[in-house]
Amino acid sequence: MREKHAGSTQTLLSRIMNPKYVMVYATVIIFLIIYIYGAIRYGSIGFTTLRTFVNFFTDNAYYGISAVGMTMVLITGGIDLSVASVQSLTGMLIAYGYTKLGISPVYTMLLSILIGVGLGILMGSAIHYLNVPPFITTLTGNFLARGVCSLISRESISIDHPLINELAGFKITLYHLVDGQWEKIKPITSISLPVLIFILMIILGTILMQHTRFGRNVYAVGGNEQSAKLMGLPVARTKIAVYAINGFCSALAGIAYVLVVKSGWNMALQGGELEVISCAVIGGTLLTGGVGYMIGTMFGVLLKSVIPALITFNGHLNSWWGKIATGALLLLFIVIQKAVVSYTDKKKA
Amino acid sequence: MSEKCILEMKGIEIEFPGVKALDGVDFSLRAGEVHALLGENGAGKSTLIKCLTGVHHKDAGTILLDGREITPVSPQHAIEMGISTVFQEINLCPNLTVAENIFVGRKEFKHRIINKRAAELMKRFHLDIDVTRPLSYYSTAVQQMVSIARAVDIQAKILILDEPTSSLDENEVQLLFSVMRDLKKDGIGIIFITHFLDQIYAISDRMTILRNGRLVGCFDVKEIGKLDLVTKMIGKDMDVIFNLHPTQMKENAGKMLTAEHIGAPGAVREISLEIKEGELVGFAGLLGSGRTETAQMIFGANRPTQGTITMKGKTVEIKKPFDAIMNGIAFCPEDRKRDGIIGDLSIRENIMLAVQAKRGFMHPLSRQEQNELADKYIKALSIATPDAEKKIGELSGGNQQKVILARWMATQPDLLILDEPTRGIDVGAKAEIQRLMLEMCEDGVSVIFISSELEEVIRCSNRIIIMRDGAKAGELEGPFDADTQNRILQIIAEGSTGGEEAGK
Repeated sequence: MREKHAGSTQTLLSRIMNPKYVMVYATVIIFLIIYIYGAIRYGSIGFTTLRTFVNFFTDNAYYGISAVGMTMVLITGGIDLSVASVQSLTGMLIAYGYTKLGISPVYTMLLSILIGVGLGILMGSAIHYLNVPPFITTLTGNFLARGVCSLISRESISIDHPLINELAGFKITLYHLVDGQWEKIKPITSISLPVLIFILMIILGTILMQHTRFGRNVYAVGGNEQSAKLMGLPVARTKIAVYAINGFCSALAGIAYVLVVKSGWNMALQGGELEVISCAVIGGTLLTGGVGYMIGTMFGVLLKSVIPALITFNGHLNSWWGKIATGALLLLFIVIQKAVVSYTDKKKA
Repeated sequence: MSEKCILEMKGIEIEFPGVKALDGVDFSLRAGEVHALLGENGAGKSTLIKCLTGVHHKDAGTILLDGREITPVSPQHAIEMGISTVFQEINLCPNLTVAENIFVGRKEFKHRIINKRAAELMKRFHLDIDVTRPLSYYSTAVQQMVSIARAVDIQAKILILDEPTSSLDENEVQLLFSVMRDLKKDGIGIIFITHFLDQIYAISDRMTILRNGRLVGCFDVKEIGKLDLVTKMIGKDMDVIFNLHPTQMKENAGKMLTAEHIGAPGAVREISLEIKEGELVGFAGLLGSGRTETAQMIFGANRPTQGTITMKGKTVEIKKPFDAIMNGIAFCPEDRKRDGIIGDLSIRENIMLAVQAKRGFMHPLSRQEQNELADKYIKALSIATPDAEKKIGELSGGNQQKVILARWMATQPDLLILDEPTRGIDVGAKAEIQRLMLEMCEDGVSVIFISSELEEVIRCSNRIIIMRDGAKAGELEGPFDADTQNRILQIIAEGSTGGEEAGK
């Protein structure tokens, strides 16, 4: 995600060494270290295949989609604890709507997106106008969505609708050129719809954050909200829009999740909001706001997939080691963030 | 500079609940002039500026911009009309790049374009910096320049500079002045607010003086002298200020504090000092010379690794500020905002903090006692506030400083350490703080007075200790004469220790 600079005094090195990218570099480097370690240890049993790599995306695609919105929320200096509940609610709406009421998933999907965006606008407004801390506001949103979810049904409802089956079964199989002939890559590697949506959202998020006035405003609000106000930026509109976009991402992630599990359950994705937040934080997004990049978040998601993959390839370790490693990683990143922040502070003084 | 006024404010009145903040104030600004806006804290300068920039709304009066009447409703609205403001605190986003900071919220946003234009703009400000770096990467001075660049580049007709020089050093101030001169040539009218009188004479064409929300007058800089100016600002005779004298110490004054060979690695190498009862000892020296660090060691905020401290003939061990408080030492720190006030608490709560700490949490002050304490000091120090329950963060700098002083006076200390108590406050409040210090000395309290302004150190001190590179470089005994300042500067510059015989 390099930006094009026109400054004549800049050398390529100084562009690359721009301190604003430190966190993203840290994420990419740690991902590479772990990946290369895996490649050396388990390369012979398929760790380096393209399929394994694509699976890094597949495993957490729905978290990744949600993390795009979460990254934006975190950049404004806020937080959103309602995302997983909204995803769960989306699943429940689609499942209950079709299986119990016979409503086409097309309508329930649209409805969930409306609900996600609506809840986002509501929470964003409360945060901005009523000055309720984001943590509290979105915790309320979390309970609300989870509550409605449980109100609809307290059992898992499976979905068997042709559209859902079709979308869930959709995949792009990758080919490569062998002796002038297009052949399927072995082992067979294919990209599912959630992965496509994930990558698309990362690209859209990057364009939105780096190349639009709106994105610039989001960073400004996160950097110093008071200043942003005095610079005449539309702070209210920006903050509310960010929560609305995050609501959209949550609902979209919920749809992606339905495509994976093909059911709705009121207890689905419990604690998922923390997974989403940790993806963004491991990806270099500062919890204090103002700093974060979509590409970093993408690598954050990949990092959260590569660790369990290592454990699977090892075959002997308890899978909970994955959680422990992720926890350690998260801690490491928070320490790095703190170090970077205090270093820049010291430089200024 | 043309005679044509781009801005005319007439009969401006603003009323806040209970207070008339501005009462019939006129102000005019010509194209291409620097117009200084002067007055003590609370005189109405900020209110006038906020009225012009749409933060406050006027209750009466008219504002004419280029002859047309305007009513700014918000900062954004004011900016659109060509009125830009640079505040004392840098109101930019540290995480955005320099270029982004200049252009955020404006039409251009493509990186390629804004980086190029920002680089050109910064060149005009004689700064050759990489505009793609985050703002936080650069020093305060550069950040200040960036905020001015932003303000100017928005096709400003009027530029308001509110205390822009308070965090700049001498060279940076000169740089700012040369930029201001360039802007004048472009026909921009500049409203300049500062506490530094010298700077007014260096750059301004005219000045408007406010006092207690009323207009004192508008003058040509050439027609009014400095002394006259200060008198007009505070509305009191200058003698009140400049006739402060060090207190006469008692012949048999006992020792208050003796510090022997105290030092802390990285801060102070080694220092010994002795302070008598009722004596005011001034600390002179450059920033980072060990003035503040010595004070912190005595107060236990920075624990000395060597040496002994004796209070009133008794060796005391001061490991933490609480020990110091219990031994009758009080300390007003340098950074009022960060280490002094607790902005969200009321004046009453801020005053009682140290007393309460001294009494211990098992013996809480009753609300009655708190109120009495607060009222007593509000009256004694003439703190300008409607009541004791106002948040301290909403007071002006001078009044905040008085509250902090009250906090420590309330503990009835034997030794009061004041680190830069007069920084960033206006002349009148400065004089009052100095008067309070001297009054305390009369009552037998010893005072350590740290200040970067040599004049006031010389004016108030019985004795001056000069610090240099973490050690005592010299000591001058009063009374002082006109030559003292040069001698101090010489000691700071050379580090000679031959100052003892001086001053007599």
